[in-house]
Amino acid sequence: MQMAGVRLEGIYKKYPGAEKASVTDVNLDIQDKEFLVLVGPSGCGKSTTLRMIAGLEEISEGKLYIGDRLVNDVAPKDRDIAMVFQSYALYPHMNVYQNMAFGLKLRKFKKADIDKRVREAAKILDIEHLLDRKPKALSGGQRQRVALGRAIVREPQVFLMDEPLSNLDAKLRGQMRAEISKLTKRLETTTIYVTHDQIEAMTMGDRIVVMKDGFIQQTASPEVLYNHPVNIFVAGFIGSPSMNFIDGSLAEVNGEVHFKAPGVDVVVPEGRASILRSKGYIGKEVVLGIRPEDLHEEPVFLEASPKTIVSANVDVAENLGHEMYLYLAGIGTGSVIARVDGRSTLRDGASVKLALDMNKAHLFDKETELNIFEN
Amino acid sequence: MRESNWIWQFSQILNCEVEQLNEPISYFETNHIDKQLLVTGQYIYLNDHSYIIMDTTDEMVSSICLKHKQLTQSEAQLIRLLILPIDEQALVTNPTTNQFEQQIMKLGKWLDEKVETKQHNLAIPDELILGRQLYNEMIPVLLSADSQSAQSSTYQELDKLIKSFLSDEVIVIPLSLGEWLILAPITILKDDEFIDEDEQDSIELSIANLAYGLQELLANEWIWESHLAISYPVVPVKTIVSKVIALRETMLIGRKFHIGTNIHLQWDLQLERLLHMIPDQEREKYLEQSFKKTELFVESEMLNTLETFFNLDCNVSETAKKLYIHRNTLLYRLDKLKQETGLDVRLFRDAVLVKIILLLYKVTKTY
Repeated sequence: MQMAGVRLEGIYKKYPGAEKASVTDVNLDIQDKEFLVLVGPSGCGKSTTLRMIAGLEEISEGKLYIGDRLVNDVAPKDRDIAMVFQSYALYPHMNVYQNMAFGLKLRKFKKADIDKRVREAAKILDIEHLLDRKPKALSGGQRQRVALGRAIVREPQVFLMDEPLSNLDAKLRGQMRAEISKLTKRLETTTIYVTHDQIEAMTMGDRIVVMKDGFIQQTASPEVLYNHPVNIFVAGFIGSPSMNFIDGSLAEVNGEVHFKAPGVDVVVPEGRASILRSKGYIGKEVVLGIRPEDLHEEPVFLEASPKTIVSANVDVAENLGHEMYLYLAGIGTGSVIARVDGRSTLRDGASVKLALDMNKAHLFDKETELNIFEN
Repeated sequence: MRESNWIWQFSQILNCEVEQLNEPISYFETNHIDKQLLVTGQYIYLNDHSYIIMDTTDEMVSSICLKHKQLTQSEAQLIRLLILPIDEQALVTNPTTNQFEQQIMKLGKWLDEKVETKQHNLAIPDELILGRQLYNEMIPVLLSADSQSAQSSTYQELDKLIKSFLSDEVIVIPLSLGEWLILAPITILKDDEFIDEDEQDSIELSIANLAYGLQELLANEWIWESHLAISYPVVPVKTIVSKVIALRETMLIGRKFHIGTNIHLQWDLQLERLLHMIPDQEREKYLEQSFKKTELFVESEMLNTLETFFNLDCNVSETAKKLYIHRNTLLYRLDKLKQETGLDVRLFRDAVLVKIILLLYKVTKTY
């Protein structure tokens, strides 16, 4: 199978009559065999970017390469890509075998070659027993597999997937998510995948591109995005429940840097405090970002971190069995969520002390919204 | 211009090695290039080289080869203009290679003119009738594709693709730029099992399946985003003009009221057609004056709930199942709507009104 990376150089999309570009200065170097996910809220430009790669939308400015070939002016059907859409409609009058074979027949492949490719793909997708069936006799998940099979047999250089799981129910979506990941690893084909679902992005992507308002916010591996978000948007978008944000300010007290907000006075660890001093943030307003799992109620944490303790009231305690979400009041001005052990005895209305893990917390510049420690 | 001289000039301008080549046809065929594409003037990009076909015999293909160079469509067109005699250029830009295709082109031109001038009741003149097929019942499908690549595709390629998908008896007629009329014999519904075995009597479902299949074909094989308007079978020879007028209206209404939908079924758009007749200003005025808190209808959760509820014929249990929510959650949402707008969609009278509001909102939002 021929494989290739995809390179986007200064890509813009501006629709006629629009004031602003829908996609602005997108630069990406997608490696051969990489699984790259484009993620962001609706209207962020992720689908438009994918559609430009597919050739469904013209590129207003910039260069697009598939392998070493500049493809700006190449017709979509000649780009050697396969696209898997949301709809997963199949050819209704053809059985599964014919559905998968049709594209190859059209491209004048030999019968034996077609048969080999179809049967191999069917085996990979575990749909060998369905080859004689018509689409109407298949379930949603089986249809999705056949749609993938139709793309696989073409052995394209790149797979483009536009929210392919969004029409499936939650259970099937989880299953197919794992199957697509497994499949693309096995086929070793470069894949670009668009989704608005950050769980899909985190679980499937080798790298994730987070987009907002047509701009790339950050491109990184799931781990880096989660632990080192470059700005408030990425920090809030990745992770569920979302990161908590607390508006406050920094002050130097007895040689220590304190983060202060209503109901909060915690000490920033010295390593990080020196960065804040050197960047001139002492006395300035900042936003503290802390993930729900970095607020701890266990006594061992409270004892170990006496300078980062806050008190709060539990508005609602949601027990999911293996873990519990505490919706807290009294930490800053808004609501804060803590993710604690499912065996916790805390209930609605309880008072609680929590230690903030300040080594994992983030501080963001109030004006630029950039992560002070990551920029 | 001497041959060696123009080849040298080409290579200088295009900054690549240029050669005149004679290759056996098998070279192209083994690389999956269809023999039918090997016609004078055709541009082919293969194995990192660009070929402009000069001449083809039974065994050999003569071409200009630009090594390690990929041309844009406009570059290929310019080279074609430079190297081919005028009469052959006409052949390429209007690639009718046989009499039947020439007839199709003429019919398309005639049809487009008559549709534009809305001459509803015209029958096809005798000299444009393409054999007996047009006297038989056929399913009319109007295909429209907006992208530049779709618009620059040749008629032969599209005709071949659709015929290999459906049947050789299908007629594809080019109308305006990026628009084609496809006439499919009604027999394909039976032969090719578009008919759902469980719903033998539903011609609408079978025709819709045909449209979905065509859309999927273009999306998958050519990565085209296409829109299709489709209607009941007709005998084209007598009613083709009025049918294309109706299909264009269906396409317009479908695209306006149902953004994001690519298949527009004439029988599904009756209410939309009626609302389309109301002037824009009147529609907006009606929305503003007649209902309170209509913005609630377009909140994404409520919109999705209501659309599913209407699609399932106002069946509460089925809607809850489809939305993966508890029946009581659905009832709570419907009660909330009733409380805030005064409209209870479980009552037929109010359901009709809400359906109209949703449709009106879709079009007024686009203005």
